Amino acid sequence: MNVELTELTRKFGRVRAVAGVNLEAGPGVFGLLGPNGAGKTSLLRMMATALPPTSGTMRLLGRDPGAYGPRREIRRRLGYLPQTLGYYPGFTVAEFVEYFALLKDMPPRQVPRAVAAAIEQVGLGDRARAKLRTLSGGMLRRAGIAQAIVNEPELLLLDEPTAGLDPEQRVAFRALLRDFGQRATVIVSTHLVEDVGAACAEVALMDGGRIVFHGTPAELIARGEGSGAAGDAPLERGYSAALAAARSVAAA
Amino acid sequence: MTATTGTAVRQRPPRATGAVPLTQARLLRIELRRNAMPLILPLIAALFWFDSYRPSTATPPLYVVRTFWNMGQGHTIVDFGPFVAGVAAWMGSRDSRRGMGDLVTATARPRWAAQLATWAATAIWAVAAYLVFVGVMFAVYAHQSVQGQPPWWWVAVGATAVTAFSAAGFAVGACWPSRFAAPVAAFGGFLAMMLSSQTGFTSTSGWALILPTNSNGNFQPDSGMLYPWLPDLPIARIMLLGGLAVAALGLLGLLPGAGGPRLRQAAAVVTLAGVVAAGTAVAFARTARLGPHGIAIPALHDAANDRPISYTPVCGHAAGLPVCLNPAYRSYLPGVTAALAPVAGEVAGLPGAPVRAMQIGAVYDPGEGGAGQAMTMSGDPPVLRMPLGALGLAGAFGWTGGQVADQYRLLFVHAFTGAGNGPGTAAQRAVQAALLQDTGVPIATQPKVLSSVGLPSWARVTGGPQPGPEPATGPVYAAARRFAALPRATQHGWLTAHLGALRSGHISLGQLP
Repeated sequence: MNVELTELTRKFGRVRAVAGVNLEAGPGVFGLLGPNGAGKTSLLRMMATALPPTSGTMRLLGRDPGAYGPRREIRRRLGYLPQTLGYYPGFTVAEFVEYFALLKDMPPRQVPRAVAAAIEQVGLGDRARAKLRTLSGGMLRRAGIAQAIVNEPELLLLDEPTAGLDPEQRVAFRALLRDFGQRATVIVSTHLVEDVGAACAEVALMDGGRIVFHGTPAELIARGEGSGAAGDAPLERGYSAALAAARSVAAA
Repeated sequence: MTATTGTAVRQRPPRATGAVPLTQARLLRIELRRNAMPLILPLIAALFWFDSYRPSTATPPLYVVRTFWNMGQGHTIVDFGPFVAGVAAWMGSRDSRRGMGDLVTATARPRWAAQLATWAATAIWAVAAYLVFVGVMFAVYAHQSVQGQPPWWWVAVGATAVTAFSAAGFAVGACWPSRFAAPVAAFGGFLAMMLSSQTGFTSTSGWALILPTNSNGNFQPDSGMLYPWLPDLPIARIMLLGGLAVAALGLLGLLPGAGGPRLRQAAAVVTLAGVVAAGTAVAFARTARLGPHGIAIPALHDAANDRPISYTPVCGHAAGLPVCLNPAYRSYLPGVTAALAPVAGEVAGLPGAPVRAMQIGAVYDPGEGGAGQAMTMSGDPPVLRMPLGALGLAGAFGWTGGQVADQYRLLFVHAFTGAGNGPGTAAQRAVQAALLQDTGVPIATQPKVLSSVGLPSWARVTGGPQPGPEPATGPVYAAARRFAALPRATQHGWLTAHLGALRSGHISLGQLP
């Protein structure tokens, strides 16, 4: 298993952002759905080793991120795109991606080729020398994706990766996700259920810090059939139905 | 609820350790390209021009004088330090200001190593700019035929100070990642420099000698010409500033998330080493003593630096009196001979008149730049010894050639009458005043000459306290006027007969003719 989470909890003061999540995931694209404040970003930050859990255990890529040595090994194999991507405005796209390739401890001689490949993969080859401050929001997002995939990660964590991408880019990005899913564990947090339907083999729905549904997109669609739940697409209706069911159980 | 999906973890070959320096070098290259320091350099250059270079051009063409303001009093450090600290704080707070915290935290490279690359790029720009600016300034000096040896040790102190400011500023930015970190660090740097200057100006010994803008007794006028620049205090200051820089950088390695346990241990050792170096430097400064050619610190002192620099003097003649100076003072030789000539002509042929005049190294008081010092006469046959480094030079402090000539004549006559390094007896002062009048310094103007800044303290005693000279009245000047009114042959006859007694202080005012 690339990801093994057991009773993982994260509190911010009195608020339990993540409340006892159990999750196991191997290679493939894993969709993480949920409303605002469900705990998706906090869960991803913990898996990215950027945020320590309050309690519970976590094993990533067969290692315990609580110890420094294993955590460093995990980080070498990790790709992470945060929900809010900060950037250095004066860096060019190539420098930004190279910078993170070096921070990820990639063998330096492999870096130039890996940087060029990552930039090409996100369709920014012709803007490699452009400074980040000159890019549009969608292009910045793609630069962020490039830094996340530059080290050919075994665990790729993407928080709202398609936010700001135009439809053409989203289609291309889903293809990229499927490609990565062949050889790595890709966890995508998103509000856009069509991304999940198009790219994910499995999906988990979070609400109130817990996973309230786990299954395939087809199983989620099935939840919505005949339920009368709101939504324009089958997956949206399944999402609404699963969420409503979980909330009614919690209320009872 | 539990979510599960299948399978195995791939294995990757371990990373070659030799790649670490190359990775760090590449990070440094990117940081150098995208550093904010170059943006502030034009401002520093303008400040350097107005505050460090321009004031120096109005001073005599000797390195030790030209660089007293910008190196001795540390104005180059004042020009660079606050801005460098501010920009370094800006760079240190970059990741947090830009919302990059999670992204850089989730990378394998220790945070400390990445921060050191960012800091190194900042420091390299700042120090390189400092060295280039100083190099250009020295090149201009050389083009202007400035004499002596450049104060390389003090340049090194400045470079280390710039490094220390960059490290301290960076640490402020990293520990307090706010948009206000940069102005606070810059203001802090400015405040530190002001405190250093204020404390330095009033402290001539003890720990305060370590302050980088304190020039008391350690920037000696003969340095680099008659004697080597003493490296004792510069070494101590480099230890202090380098130690502070190392401690500040080590501190970054102790912050949460900086790296693993070994790295944090290394950071603790580095921090401790920096603190120890800085503390040792302060302890060294407390043992400093003022030697004849500058501040000596016993633990750092090399006796080889006390040996005078050998040189072939340049010589001229003052009314037949050979006058020899250090070649660094070549441009002053005509002025010195012209100043001494009337006195040399006046005393020529008298017993005890000097057979030549030569420059000697000055021995200084522990004040800023040293207080004035007398000419002396000694040896058989007698030689007039001139501590030119401690005397006024035309062009220094706004002195004209005429003012300096009057001072030289006064000191020559003072030495001739045997008054030594004190005001002398009343008779000696009267003869001194008479001879000065004979050599072109009217008695009425002598109190003003005696009150000149730069003369030894005894001159003030005879000339009256500051401010302003007293009128040339009283029994001494009355006797002087009487003696000066005598025919030259009578004066010489009396001096031939009584010079020995006059010098030994056995002639009273009433015994003068």
